[in-house]
Amino acid sequence: MTRAEHDTVTPADKDATGEIAQPPGHVEVWRGNEHSPVEGAPDGVITLKDLEVYYGDFRAVTDVNVQFGSKEITALIGPSGCGKSTVLRCLNRMNDLVPGARVVGTVAYHGVDIYGPDVDVIEVRRRVGMVFQKPNPFPKSIYDNVAYGPRVTGMKVDSMDELVERALRGAALWDEVKDKLKQNAFGLSGGQQQRLCIARAIATSPEVILMDEPCSALDPIATAKIEDLMAELAKTYTIIIVTHNMQQAARVSQRTGFFTAEADEMGHRTGRLVEFDTTEHIFGNPSDERTEAYITGRFG
Amino acid sequence: MTTTTVSFGERLRSGRRSSTASMVFTAVLWACMAIICAFLFFVLFTIIQQGVARLDGNLLDRQPSQIRPETAGVQSALFGTLWVIGLTAVIAVPLGIAAAVYLEEYADPKRWYNRLIELNIQNLAAVPTIIYGILVLAFVVRGPLSVGAVVLAGGVALALLILPVIIITTREALRAVPEEIRAGSLALGATPWQTTWKQVLPAAISGIATGTILSLSRAIGEAAPLILVGATTFITFNPDGVFSRYTTLPVQIYTLVPEDRDAYRDLAYATILLLIIVLLAMNAIAIWLRNRYQRRW
Ligand SMILES: Nc1ncnc2c1ncn2[C@@H]1O[C@H](COP(=O)(O)OP(=O)(O)OP(=O)(O)O)[C@@H](O)[C@H]1O
Ligand SMILES: [Mg+2]
Repeated sequence: MTRAEHDTVTPADKDATGEIAQPPGHVEVWRGNEHSPVEGAPDGVITLKDLEVYYGDFRAVTDVNVQFGSKEITALIGPSGCGKSTVLRCLNRMNDLVPGARVVGTVAYHGVDIYGPDVDVIEVRRRVGMVFQKPNPFPKSIYDNVAYGPRVTGMKVDSMDELVERALRGAALWDEVKDKLKQNAFGLSGGQQQRLCIARAIATSPEVILMDEPCSALDPIATAKIEDLMAELAKTYTIIIVTHNMQQAARVSQRTGFFTAEADEMGHRTGRLVEFDTTEHIFGNPSDERTEAYITGRFG
Repeated sequence: MTTTTVSFGERLRSGRRSSTASMVFTAVLWACMAIICAFLFFVLFTIIQQGVARLDGNLLDRQPSQIRPETAGVQSALFGTLWVIGLTAVIAVPLGIAAAVYLEEYADPKRWYNRLIELNIQNLAAVPTIIYGILVLAFVVRGPLSVGAVVLAGGVALALLILPVIIITTREALRAVPEEIRAGSLALGATPWQTTWKQVLPAAISGIATGTILSLSRAIGEAAPLILVGATTFITFNPDGVFSRYTTLPVQIYTLVPEDRDAYRDLAYATILLLIIVLLAMNAIAIWLRNRYQRRW
């Protein structure tokens, strides 16, 4: 995979407000060098440079350099405990909620280090949404679940009803719930709840959606629906998904990153990004033997 | 084949030995509960039997009287109780919930001052009620504030008394709200304050309300701290504000019981019955609230 396909990286910010474009503290997008190449992705809507995450004294992941491409699905795979969720949580600063978590290195979103000073976490999370492993609807009505994000972030909307409908349609849930918008979201099935969480996430018009094993609590039919939905969403949104399901990664993603954690001589296990490339390449002809061992099921 | 069946059956039957022990244990537990219930029902029965005669309109309509205890009432005490407990709620509920929200949602438990506060709240819940009376007597009734023996002092004393309990029960209710709700809200770009106010508190409301009502109903029955802060024993007018002198039902009972005239004794029983009815009503509201808003995660 060739790196640095583009000479200049223009912030893919189609947002008319232009808040993100060229703010103070602008960081050059990392293009890699001979020693530490940034593998793969074309435009680097999110770029990680020498990312290292600690929980207290424990170093969970280190040395992650990668560029994620916009409007495509990137899958992060790897054995349990290798730091996939940890890396994913860095991308919208959800690691801030973990006491003792510390992030070293750069997480650049459109060239802005989101861990830099003066960065508004709220704004970051509005642009980089998240869907969790376990469906976590709020104990409110279906309507209020979707309207919550736009309300709390003070989005100016002409018609909340329209916005809710658009988000629910976007999450392929509208037809199933249009007659019971005022009912409590807990009455939905697990798969519907997860699609509601996706609707909730897209209601704030994010650019990137992070998903941490979004289908692991769902049955195969609900999973298939979410996978179809992801393919549809990838036309509009950038999706980064953590999954344990190899077939899922192969089916839905355009690019795949393989993480693993290897113990050093002191016995500390630290996660690293082993390989990042097109999904085709990772599953067809991986460059690293650890990747091959993992995807063929001989490891982890 | 037969051998395995036999040994399997033996193994099954050998389980019976432990079932004898568990039956004995169950019987002991039942006996304990029967004793407690018998005692409770005896007390309740006596109070109802002795008190029902004077549980009439006069009890609620009239003021205490030393000349005609046969037709006297305890209206001033009933209104005094309502005033004091209302003021207690106004002081203790917002303070208690705010403190619990701080400790549960904002405080860093590693900081020494937060740990100190936590430890102290645990201890405060175990402080004898009379101590709160002495404190309020020294600082509110006399001393710096010098408001005198008025409703305000009684309300402050009871508010201090139940504050630790409200904080502890509210924290438990907040802790029962799953972390995923907070994460989901924050991930949408809500601030911690919005998350607390719009998600966590509404989700915890039934636990908070239940704990609050139960601690208020405990405060209603208190006499000792109020006697110290000067709830007057004989008063024939209803309080008309927080700076009014007052008496309460438990204090009234405390003065009626030692009197030797039968009329006083009957009035005391009726007042106790009235207090129990007020308490049961509050507990019923708490149970209703809990069932109404209960959430299963
Ligand atoms: N909140 C935390 N506090 C301390 N250590 C943590 C915390 N979260 C994760 N870790 C540690 O960091 C390492 C990476 O965890 P992480 O959850 O990112 O792995 P993962 O790849 O997502 O695993 P899985 O596939 O099981 O979800 C693990 O060793 C884990 O024990
Ligand atoms: Mg994980």
